[in-house]
Amino acid sequence: KNLRCVTHNLQKMICAWDVSFKGRHGQTDFCYTTDDFPLPVCFKTKEKRIEIAVPESSTTVTITTNSISGTTLATKGFEIHKKDISFVPLTPRILSLTPDFSTSTLNLKWSDNGSVFLSGLDAFWQIQILRKEAMEKVTQVTYYSKLTHEDTILSWNWTSDMPLECTSHYVKIRCYINVTQFAGPKDWSDWSPVEEVPGKDTEPDGSGVFPQDTVVAVGSDVTICCVHEEGQQIQRMTYGPEIYPLIHLSSRSSAIRVLNASASDASGTNVVCTLSETEMDGTVLFVGYAPDIPQNLSCETSNFLIIKCTWKPGRPSGLYGKRRTKYSLFERISGKNISCEVNEMNRERVCGFPVLPDQKTYNFTLGVSNPVGQTESSILVDLTQRVRPKTPEKLTVSGNSSTSVHLRWFINGSFAELRLLCQIEISSGHSEQKLHNVSIPGGKYSTYTAHLNMLHPYTKYQFRVRCSTADHFWKWSDWSRVEEHTTWEA
Amino acid sequence: RDLCSRGIRLAGKMRSDVIDLLDTYVEQQGLDASASVAAVEGVPMAAVERWDELTGTQRLLENLMAYRAFRALLAQMLEEQQEQLGEADAALGQALTAVLLQVSAFIYHLEELLRLESRGPPSEEGTGPPPASHLGLFERKLRGLGVLRELAQWAVRSARDLRQLSRTSPGSSSAPSPADSP
Repeated sequence: KNLRCVTHNLQKMICAWDVSFKGRHGQTDFCYTTDDFPLPVCFKTKEKRIEIAVPESSTTVTITTNSISGTTLATKGFEIHKKDISFVPLTPRILSLTPDFSTSTLNLKWSDNGSVFLSGLDAFWQIQILRKEAMEKVTQVTYYSKLTHEDTILSWNWTSDMPLECTSHYVKIRCYINVTQFAGPKDWSDWSPVEEVPGKDTEPDGSGVFPQDTVVAVGSDVTICCVHEEGQQIQRMTYGPEIYPLIHLSSRSSAIRVLNASASDASGTNVVCTLSETEMDGTVLFVGYAPDIPQNLSCETSNFLIIKCTWKPGRPSGLYGKRRTKYSLFERISGKNISCEVNEMNRERVCGFPVLPDQKTYNFTLGVSNPVGQTESSILVDLTQRVRPKTPEKLTVSGNSSTSVHLRWFINGSFAELRLLCQIEISSGHSEQKLHNVSIPGGKYSTYTAHLNMLHPYTKYQFRVRCSTADHFWKWSDWSRVEEHTTWEA
Repeated sequence: RDLCSRGIRLAGKMRSDVIDLLDTYVEQQGLDASASVAAVEGVPMAAVERWDELTGTQRLLENLMAYRAFRALLAQMLEEQQEQLGEADAALGQALTAVLLQVSAFIYHLEELLRLESRGPPSEEGTGPPPASHLGLFERKLRGLGVLRELAQWAVRSARDLRQLSRTSPGSSSAPSPADSP
């Protein structure tokens, strides 16, 4: 009685039945015919189950139970229609469960057994994560895939809300295949055997506080656990100055849950697990901000040797030392990448990039990253339009008449292919300041000269000079030092 | 005697600077000032039984070994502080550097005294600190606390040792008094 047939692959089905004669029966004769194969096919079996092909539409089965001596005890016929056959996929096989402790992530890999089915079928995978000694369910997720008539290895990641070291994590999986044209009942497969990632609380010398010295974003909810020896008792766990309620994980592990963590001091926030008056363990949590998008990114050169990029960092990350925000300057055209040495304490950030031979345009991307996040900012620069010459030096003024003077100055830099616009400021005691502009061909580490006339005889003047580029003005250099000169007597 | 008294003054100054540094360190590292800390591996304890029975040379040698160990540990702490904090807390870095310089000066002083004892200071090989890289940050913070506490104790003991030395050195009159044991 109770003949029931289940198929795992839509090709073959396993039929099983019950027998009323407890213990006193011998072999069973199993015969079946199908509408496309009318001749009966018979088997003898001691089992109470048998594997036969799934029929196109229906199968007629006759089961004869014999006594040990071979005499017929009972015979019964069954009509199995397609709608009576259940479809239950095979139990999925977990290939690997790999922990990444640094990110508290589990990577699950399994085979979808697709080769068993025609391609294109929709498959649903239920994945259950369990935790703690009591194997409590943490989460259950449904993952979808399409079968491709080949065995495909599927992969899935799950990030735990607590460090994997804290206690053992377990994973199991089952699947459901949506065979729309299959008439019979369809069901989930059995759960796979459980795969385990053991926690430190299962290791003899696994004690410690986890996560160890990690960095999280401000506002995060963080679970921190204390794994201790068997028989030890946690007196208290503090996060910074505050005592937190303990969450029991196992006989050797308890945790605290910090919600909406605020920015930590430079040296991090201590998490202390006090086991006795003289014994404590701890970790340090660094809570900071992801870097802001750099503001006012600007690049210029003062000497056509080095391009100096500056930017405003935005909100401080609150992370220092080896966790500080790091900057790199990538130039897309040349493919050159520079890492910038930046002092995190001063507001403005500077990075130098070498002027490259025969390259006038620079496509910069300033990459910014710290352990919490990363961002970038880009700028396209035509260097000839971003020249801010160095301060003119060695300004000298010499007279060659009572109403004219000759000025000479030096600028450290190479401006050979440019025209410089220099501005000379002329001041004297009793007349107001005048500005005289002069356009000069740029040179390489050159001295420049200018001639001023229409001055007053026998008058003390103060001169200073600054320069910029004549074409595409960008910025003036700083003013040179002031140079005094008295014109000749008339 | 003059070297001893200069040494005593140096130890006194070092002690007050170490106490200040301890306060800064505890606050900056977010530690509980009353936290109990295990003995620091690689540093001889300042407290010693039968302090009275030590000879002058033994006192100097024990001091020298201890301060050489402290010099290495402080240098390690400074390096860690730079790695962990960068320029974020220059004050702590400067205070650590100042104490490290004083310890180095005190080592030089002890070596001078040992030269006077005509035996000269032992060579330095093999006195590097145990590596700390395997320790977590919290353990390193506690270890730093332990180093500074023990250094403060040693500064007290060194002053007593030198006082004792100056008493028992040739030409001195009084015998060691039990009251002076640390």
